[in-house]
Amino acid sequence: MENEPNEATEPHESETSESSEPSARDETAETPETEEVPQTEDEVSEPSEPPEPSDGADDTSSPTNPTTPSKLHPLSVAYRTLQQILSIGFLVFLFFFGGAATEGLSALVGIALTVFVALVAILGWQVAYYRRFEYELTGDTFDIRSGVISRRNREIPLRRVQNVDVTENVLHRLIGIAQVNIETAGGNVSEASLRYVGADVAREIQRDVRRRKRALSDEETPDIEEDVEEGERGRKLYEISGRELLLLSTFSIDFRLVAFAFFILSFVPPERFEAIEGVSVSVSALPVVVLGLIVAFILWIIGFGTSFSRYYGFVLTRIDDTLGYERGLFNRYSGSIPINKIQTFTLYENVLKRRFSYSTLGVETAGYSPTQSRQHGSETAVPFAKKERVMNLAVEIDDVEIPEFTLPPKRSRRRYAFRYSLVLGVLAVLLYVADTVVSPPDWYLPLLALPLAPVAAHLKWRNRGYYLGDDYVATRNGFWNRTSVILPYYRVQNVIESSTILQRRWRLATVTIDTAGSSGLRSDDARAVDVGFEDAEVIREEVRDKLQESLAERRAERREKRRKADETWLDTVARESPDARSEEDKHEDLPEDDTEGERKDT
Amino acid sequence: MENLNPRIRTVWILVAVLIAAFLGTIFRAAPTDEYAEVPVGVIIFVVLLLLFGTYQLLRYRNWGFEVQDDAVYIEHGVLVHVKKVVPFVRIQHIDSRRGPVERASGLASLVIYTAGSRGADVRIPGLTPERADELREKLRELAIENEESIEDAV
Repeated sequence: MENEPNEATEPHESETSESSEPSARDETAETPETEEVPQTEDEVSEPSEPPEPSDGADDTSSPTNPTTPSKLHPLSVAYRTLQQILSIGFLVFLFFFGGAATEGLSALVGIALTVFVALVAILGWQVAYYRRFEYELTGDTFDIRSGVISRRNREIPLRRVQNVDVTENVLHRLIGIAQVNIETAGGNVSEASLRYVGADVAREIQRDVRRRKRALSDEETPDIEEDVEEGERGRKLYEISGRELLLLSTFSIDFRLVAFAFFILSFVPPERFEAIEGVSVSVSALPVVVLGLIVAFILWIIGFGTSFSRYYGFVLTRIDDTLGYERGLFNRYSGSIPINKIQTFTLYENVLKRRFSYSTLGVETAGYSPTQSRQHGSETAVPFAKKERVMNLAVEIDDVEIPEFTLPPKRSRRRYAFRYSLVLGVLAVLLYVADTVVSPPDWYLPLLALPLAPVAAHLKWRNRGYYLGDDYVATRNGFWNRTSVILPYYRVQNVIESSTILQRRWRLATVTIDTAGSSGLRSDDARAVDVGFEDAEVIREEVRDKLQESLAERRAERREKRRKADETWLDTVARESPDARSEEDKHEDLPEDDTEGERKDT
Repeated sequence: MENLNPRIRTVWILVAVLIAAFLGTIFRAAPTDEYAEVPVGVIIFVVLLLLFGTYQLLRYRNWGFEVQDDAVYIEHGVLVHVKKVVPFVRIQHIDSRRGPVERASGLASLVIYTAGSRGADVRIPGLTPERADELREKLRELAIENEESIEDAV
């Protein structure tokens, strides 16, 4: 297997063992089946019993009677053809016109003929693809039959479906089609992709899958559902207002980039600017500032545009235990985030947002992200709102505790001041040394910034912090882009305390609280940085104990729930059949299957 | 706190010797002062050996792990001290491994996998193969004991 070792235990296996044809996982269907077969044998050796379609399924899901197989949108043929022509057309163009364009009329005819044949072939292929593509939503699976040359049938058990997301780009919206991706947890590719169906059909699929999923889960825990009518369309938690969108776009500037630009520019000798702008040497500092501002402005424009088009018309809804969102100006995205898959909550507040007490809320799910880069499963839940409202929403979503941060000890502030001064000093020395070789800016310039070192140190220190609550732990870092990570103890994977040789001089350490969601690419891990040795130990032990506690609590809750479900079930059985005893074992399996499922949902 | 098998210390020191020797040989050709009694290469070798040797000794001394009541606790590091806590509930699977060097020295290592992103795999080197297998079995049992909470793996 080429995958990472821990992926082996993940949901693919269960999905595979349940789908009627193992090789169905390959999107392109080019791979010969034999390649996949050994893998399946491996997997089969692990006892991952597919959940028996429960006996109750038939009567409960009777309102959702199986539909007839559906087809893609006819226009999808045109779109896909166009797409394919564009992707390979360029190559063909280079090949022919680069080499043979000089050969005259006969060659031209040849080219035209080839192009024509190619077009027909592509079109033919796409028509065939369309004709052979069928999908169907049954009571407990989503089935897809597809493939022109090698056929494949795929059944995706609905209970494994984590998200159905719909994507439309500008062109799609013009002709009214949309792409539907069906995602199960853990994988970084879509389990199934419908390219393309009508935009309305896409929404319908989204809704239907949700509804049927709920019907399936109701079956197991009949006491959970209360408001069915509301459940259909969900309750709107947040909708971005025009004002918020504008402010958000305005505030979306990466200050680190700006600072970096200034930093780089300050090293360009003033003569260069003179050459460009013709300013006199006496104001040699000015061009740097001007140029810096220009760069900052460009960066700001880019940030504005990106944010504006991304969060245009953002709506967050809640449907039972799932958050649904929709956003986008040109490209429309809609998807969902299952609340019980959320690992961490993250607050993003850059300097400007903080100044006006606004905030952004992101949620991180385990290894899966619907629309953004699949490297990190981070998704924006609330793009922009007053901090208070953001916190209230977080509480509403998952009873998040509002953290009250403890700052690191004062000596870590001294450490930063020391560090910054040291950097400036080193810079001055370097410039001084270089002065003898070339003529860089005056060597003492960095030293002028020395008074800023304590300020910067204070700001850095002030924006750090950690919080150990009853059910949640939180950390906070960063001045320019302050990031606070809040997570429930039961999401903790492991705890790592580390202290470098430099940290030890100040008796400081860093505690990283690892979850399954964070990828480490973005520095969104929960890290309590530069806390005292004693505090580090307290955090480490506290998190560890609270993890066990909260797991025990959850276990007890689940047991209670299960017991209730059993009682209800037993009641039903007792009413329906006198021979309830023999059926009981069968029922025992049900929650266990669920257990399996969730574990694999990693 | 359980220490590593002392044989891994020998292996690590051997590695240090090899690296020092390698770098020493590279600098063998460096111009030597006529009056110097020792060639530069040798000096480099000795210095590096002292440096790496000390590092490896400290590395060995600082390595320790313990199977505690709810988690595996690991401590290691010379320049960066690291303390890791891996709760049994979070263990996804456990490998015991023997690479070529480990086979030659009659040692093995244990790798514990969690779903975490940073400490996703935690490696304990320098175990006797028996101890590695024993630990693997033990941790497996401890992980299964928590089976009821297995759905909390993420």
